[in-house]
Amino acid sequence: MDFETKLEILSAAAKYDVSCSSSGSARKNIPGGFGSSYKSGICHSWSEDGRCISLLKVLFSNHCIYNCAYCVNRSSNDLPRASFTPDEVAQLTSEFYRRNYIEGLFLSSGVVKNPDYTMELLLKTVKKLREEHKFNGYIHLKAIPGADFKLIYQAGTYVDRMSVNIELPSNKSLQLLAPQKTKESIIKPMNYISAVKTAKNDENRVFKKKQIFVPAGQSTQLIVGATPDNDLGILRLSENLYKRFQLKRVYYSAYVPVSSHPNLPAIGTPPLLREHRLYQADWLLRFYGFSSDELLDDSRPDFDLDLEPKSCWALRNLHLFPIEVNTADYDMLLRIPGIGVRSAKTIVTARRSQKLGYEDLKKIGVVMKRAKYFISCKGKYYGSLNENIIKYDLMSQSRKNLLQSSQYQQISLFDKGDYNDLLHL
Amino acid sequence: MIYYIYDGSFEGLLTSIYDSYYLKQTPCDISAKPNSQISLFDENIYIKTNTEKFEKVYNSIRQKISSEALNNVYNVYLSNYEFKGILIFNYLKLGWKTGYTIDNYISNESVLNVQRISRRVQKEYHLFLGIVRFKRMEGDFYYASIEPDNNITELLAPHFSTRLSDQRWVIHDIKRGIAAVYNLKKWYMLDLKLKPDFILQSNENDFQFLWKKYFKSIAIKSRINPKLQRRFMPKRYWSHLTEKS
Repeated sequence: MDFETKLEILSAAAKYDVSCSSSGSARKNIPGGFGSSYKSGICHSWSEDGRCISLLKVLFSNHCIYNCAYCVNRSSNDLPRASFTPDEVAQLTSEFYRRNYIEGLFLSSGVVKNPDYTMELLLKTVKKLREEHKFNGYIHLKAIPGADFKLIYQAGTYVDRMSVNIELPSNKSLQLLAPQKTKESIIKPMNYISAVKTAKNDENRVFKKKQIFVPAGQSTQLIVGATPDNDLGILRLSENLYKRFQLKRVYYSAYVPVSSHPNLPAIGTPPLLREHRLYQADWLLRFYGFSSDELLDDSRPDFDLDLEPKSCWALRNLHLFPIEVNTADYDMLLRIPGIGVRSAKTIVTARRSQKLGYEDLKKIGVVMKRAKYFISCKGKYYGSLNENIIKYDLMSQSRKNLLQSSQYQQISLFDKGDYNDLLHL
Repeated sequence: MIYYIYDGSFEGLLTSIYDSYYLKQTPCDISAKPNSQISLFDENIYIKTNTEKFEKVYNSIRQKISSEALNNVYNVYLSNYEFKGILIFNYLKLGWKTGYTIDNYISNESVLNVQRISRRVQKEYHLFLGIVRFKRMEGDFYYASIEPDNNITELLAPHFSTRLSDQRWVIHDIKRGIAAVYNLKKWYMLDLKLKPDFILQSNENDFQFLWKKYFKSIAIKSRINPKLQRRFMPKRYWSHLTEKS
């Protein structure tokens, strides 16, 4: 098989892994070597689906002994199979990197023969890149569940980020779609990596010679929409992963139908909007000080597709609003729909020198279309505290059209014209 | 009405600010090109770049305002904004009154514009860290042509000189006719007006081909979203991207 066909097969096989970031590591170039990491990561291109390309994302091999129903590389799937050699991967990574196509390598693999054998191949590849090619760019490596911890440890000293994909958010789903795997087999290596990293950090505080172990931490991926798991379950899982294993990122991947297994839902298009809501909520967990219980609860276990999670939370807590932007503290500013981390920070510093008005907020990039219902500036309030009105106004146009056209006819009294006069009273 | 004309250098721009301060003049524009629509009562004043004056203003910005402000001013200087000279003049004039709190005054038009433009330049710089595409040329060096909106080549050079420190490279801004050159020891800027006739190294096309293949096969067909792609990577940059040309 020629090399280009191999590359085609093994990159197409890796594309459902959505992890893309190249951030979190500040690895420096060494004399005689090439490559470096950039703390906040660099995107190098964007593919036709609009997702960023930052790393050369390939599988080492798409041969796999497992037969997970949701996975395109499952052993029963009839598709062309290929494997790289460590030399090929190292060479290609170097050549792409020197042309600034990529920020580094993302290497995953199907399980060939057994987990140890596969992990050894991956280890050999990253070792070659670091030691023979003197490559100091970013490397994201998959830890193969079930592989010897010694191999995972060694790999961790060479790479910047490691990840184990959970894929299915509950044990029940796992049994349904990937009966050869257990929750424990997946969590164990994550737990191990997290423990070693914590231990190294402690040692580094004491000893002069600093040891590097997975400097950019761990990430994982959850598939959305292949199983009946609800958003609350998924979000709680993410929250625990962030807290317990100090994960850097949890990625959500809208399930793309890659097979027609009886245990899989028959869906036409991937649930992209649901995926988007989960990402929004994930950001709220990590940067906005929200907890999963505030965003969802058992009576309301899924996100509203009409409205983003932050606005939903605000509408449920209207008694807290409006908030005066000139006096509210930073944590509260962050909770206002339409205000993000950057505008909250700007508000906090800018209001030291002047009182902020409606126009000022607009200028610094606050999305007033959303924020105006929840804030007052210099004591002045520009919105209306009516839940239904706000909700309708915050919806995107496409959702509004949907609302008007189809099954929701009964609440069409929220037609724009009906209450517009109300707003400007 | 007084128009200041400077030589286009950052030194020249800060010299004109020094002069206006001591001549107690308020120019209605500071630009690198003479004003063509000048009327009888207008006056063009040509500023003679002076290193001493430049340094005085430079240090004064850093000490009396803030290094953040100096950064902003430099970014705006690199931008393609037409009235950047007078914008920087107004921003600094306010800065010397307010001191280090200058960037809090977001309700001031000049402060807001300076921040906006500075951010725009930084954003483009960051994008280009990713989308500069080197091609390996005969003679063992890598060449990249770019056409950024703002004059960011000299911002890009330090990044690549540490990252790709074991290969010789050229980043050529063909719009402005300037280039950053790295010779394995250090990088420097030079004028490069002509389109150079370098020859691709023999296996360069193979890697370009592989990259294009990869670029195509990594996209998920059921998620195709060209609008999203263009939002991150505007079409005007595509002609220099290996995977898009």
